[in-house]
Amino acid sequence: MNLLLSAPKGHELSEYVYSLPFNLYGKAKKVDGTLSVTHSEIIVYIDGEEIDRFGFSDYEEYACEQLVGCSMMVGKIDDRDKKCICAFTQDSFIAFAELCKIINHCLTTGHLVEESDIDEPKCPKCGLPLDGYTECPYCASKVKTFAKLFGRLKPYKGVFAIAIGCTILGELLNVLSPQINKVLIDDYVIPHNMSHWLGFGLLCAAMFGIIILNTLINWVNMKCSYYVSLNLGQDLRQDVFDKTLELSMSSISKKTAGDLINRVSNDANKLQSFLTDNGKNAIVRIFSLIIVAVMLFVMNWKLALLAIVPIPLVVLIIKRAYNVIHMYYGRSWRFSNNHSKLLHDALDGIRVVKTCGTEEAEIEKYRVASENWAKAASKAEIVWNLIWPFSDFLMTVGNYFVLYFGSLMILSKIPAFGEMTLGELTLFTSYIGMLYNPLRWLMQLPRQLADVSISASKVFEILEENTDVRDDADCVDLDIKGNIKFNGVYFGYKVYNPVLKDITCDFEQGKMYGIVGHSGVGKSTMINLILRLYDVTQGSVTIDGVDIRKISQQSLRSQVGVVLQETYLFEGTVLENITYAKPNATFEEVIQAAKIAHCHEFITKLPDGYNTRVGNKGYTLSGGERQRVAIARAILHNPKIIILDEATASLDTETERQIQEGLNELCKGRTTIAIAHRLSTLSHADKLIVLDKGRMAETGTHEELMKKKGVYYELVMAQRKTTKMREVTGNPNYVH
Amino acid sequence: MEQKTEKNVLEDERFEIDRLEILDCSKLRFYKDEGNFISLEYNGETYFNVRLTRLVPFYSKTTYISVAYDNKDNEFKEIGVIKDMAELSEDQFKMLDEYLEYKYYMPEITKIYSIKDNSRGFIFVDIETTSGRKTICIRDWYSNFRMLTEKMLYALDVDGNKYFCPDVEKLDKKSIATLEIFV
Repeated sequence: MNLLLSAPKGHELSEYVYSLPFNLYGKAKKVDGTLSVTHSEIIVYIDGEEIDRFGFSDYEEYACEQLVGCSMMVGKIDDRDKKCICAFTQDSFIAFAELCKIINHCLTTGHLVEESDIDEPKCPKCGLPLDGYTECPYCASKVKTFAKLFGRLKPYKGVFAIAIGCTILGELLNVLSPQINKVLIDDYVIPHNMSHWLGFGLLCAAMFGIIILNTLINWVNMKCSYYVSLNLGQDLRQDVFDKTLELSMSSISKKTAGDLINRVSNDANKLQSFLTDNGKNAIVRIFSLIIVAVMLFVMNWKLALLAIVPIPLVVLIIKRAYNVIHMYYGRSWRFSNNHSKLLHDALDGIRVVKTCGTEEAEIEKYRVASENWAKAASKAEIVWNLIWPFSDFLMTVGNYFVLYFGSLMILSKIPAFGEMTLGELTLFTSYIGMLYNPLRWLMQLPRQLADVSISASKVFEILEENTDVRDDADCVDLDIKGNIKFNGVYFGYKVYNPVLKDITCDFEQGKMYGIVGHSGVGKSTMINLILRLYDVTQGSVTIDGVDIRKISQQSLRSQVGVVLQETYLFEGTVLENITYAKPNATFEEVIQAAKIAHCHEFITKLPDGYNTRVGNKGYTLSGGERQRVAIARAILHNPKIIILDEATASLDTETERQIQEGLNELCKGRTTIAIAHRLSTLSHADKLIVLDKGRMAETGTHEELMKKKGVYYELVMAQRKTTKMREVTGNPNYVH
Repeated sequence: MEQKTEKNVLEDERFEIDRLEILDCSKLRFYKDEGNFISLEYNGETYFNVRLTRLVPFYSKTTYISVAYDNKDNEFKEIGVIKDMAELSEDQFKMLDEYLEYKYYMPEITKIYSIKDNSRGFIFVDIETTSGRKTICIRDWYSNFRMLTEKMLYALDVDGNKYFCPDVEKLDKKSIATLEIFV
């Protein structure tokens, strides 16, 4: 990222290492300010005049604080003693955050990095934020994208070629029909020449033959097209899904679940239908456009010109009209969407509506939404019905010219144009009709192409994304014993905002560790690093002395068992859910694991025992039951390292006690790392690691830390106070 | 007996935390520290770097202002709520108003020249604001360019900057016509 953007008035850029413009100061008024950084100082200029000057070491840390409408760069000695250095609108946030990171790095290492390595997450071409994409989906080369898209037809090229062949044949037959019509009119109908019954019969048979042949060709065409379409869609969906599961958590978390689902289903479907429908049509329609145009010009170029000349102008007018229609329909769609949301809300929350007695207010809200939708839809329809007949008339205006001049030619009234028979005119107008259809389609094509190219770039972005957490070529399958070490680890989900700072600690084999601290302090982040869901920014995490980046991810994760706060049960039976991580387990092993986890008893009481369906549409298990299934799953998995991330947080103390026995069994002899908000659950840990503001504040046993009266002591005291207060209010979940 | 007293104390403490505390403006003394952050002296206590929040930022700029601070455990503690800043002395009002204008920096839209939809989920809105003319790019504009009430327009651009128009009906006719199709 370029952090040397503008020099203050009267100064040169070369005087500074970094220099960024800012636009707010003092009373939230717009200013023309510059924040310039030399090798040891920060200088603030407004309108070229120096306002403030700080040495790097004047503050212990520099940070960007995001307010509601703007952000500011702050120098901090501690949370109380801080100073606002300058303020700016949100568009400058990332640049200033990166500058703070560089100055902070200089404060700890004494070395000022002179080039920022962070990439500007904006498209260099259109300037829009990339928002998790590696390449701007709007500026990606359309030709390249479509080439890749058509490349996916390769496995089905034979069948696709048959489909195209059939469509071309069909189009040729369509061209042939008007020719037969012309002969029928000119040779049989106009001269009343019914003496050659044979010729007439043959022509009628030919017409009938064309219909039969066309049906046959269409049938083959449809079959081939469906074959290609369905297979291609399946390939695309499968590839996108496979790749999605391969991606690192940081790549996945940049996209929402909805976005990913959209890419797997909607975007892939859109490409599927485009390739087999429009892709084929594109070839055929352009082909038929050329054939028909050539035939028209061969028949009578002057008349053909009359039909074609108005088209470019008409296309321009119609395109504008379509944009207007599109806007009105978009508006109507938005109102319909609002209406559905309101309906959904009111019906989903019907109990709340009834208990609050707000039926009338809801009815009124619904009436307004429904009325707005009706009005918007009616306006869109009016606009459509005004524009469409007019634009269609404009589109086919050439036809009227042809009819007028053609009729004159039949009557031999314009010798300059030559002569024409009635059959020829019928043939000519039929061909002009055939010319307008591909033209209408072509007019819609740009919008469709734009739409599809975005879907295609989204799909290919996933397919071609290089996952940032990947196995090295020389990674090993390690038989883990369970000694974990953090060596000076720095990590942030966003590089400019470190969550963990300089963490160095050991987790010895077979012992139990607790990580404690305020929420958001980085406890779960440490766990994510051990699981290698993310890679550290600086430092390393080792297991048995091997950097986890050198251990294959499959080998690492297959030896780590995790029990989370909320257990997700997949759609399927209890048995399938327990054996999820070890599908080849014997049924005896499953029951053994279930018994240790104290879930065998309740599973036996379920209507279909271990075959009871659970998940979204299945039997609803309570929170405690789900946790026990998760513990059984972890026991069966037989991991070397156990991670308990708030495993009992959502349970009441009675259920927690029952589950604790299962957990104790699970943790026996294995390295266990637990996070729990309720500190009492961790008091028996061999060692506690206390995090504070992203750094390691203290370590020791519960007793040691209580004696020390540091951060842990304060946390315990604060929690005791809250617990006592809850006792007073009588919340049974918190009776200790 | 002793236990009962302890219970009462705890109950009182709980009530104290949960009760809405409307601050007596005559007892408030806000001042700016060296770092330009606002601190408060109230009822004999000093609170450094207080957190001032407009509780209903879209409806009122100077009423219902929450005054809070982070304690040493970084926990949010609310001192109370200023019902109406008008009850503050003139200089105190000015200091708070300046800070809040800063925190909630949000240019007001005064004219809409054009709105272009790129048919890819983005719109480009050419506007005149209290901070000058600007073309803002809005992503996912169904959510980020909308009416908050029947009159108030709210816009959030791709960079995270916010804009608003308190009453669209007061815009000129051309602006309203341009806007109508999109909201």
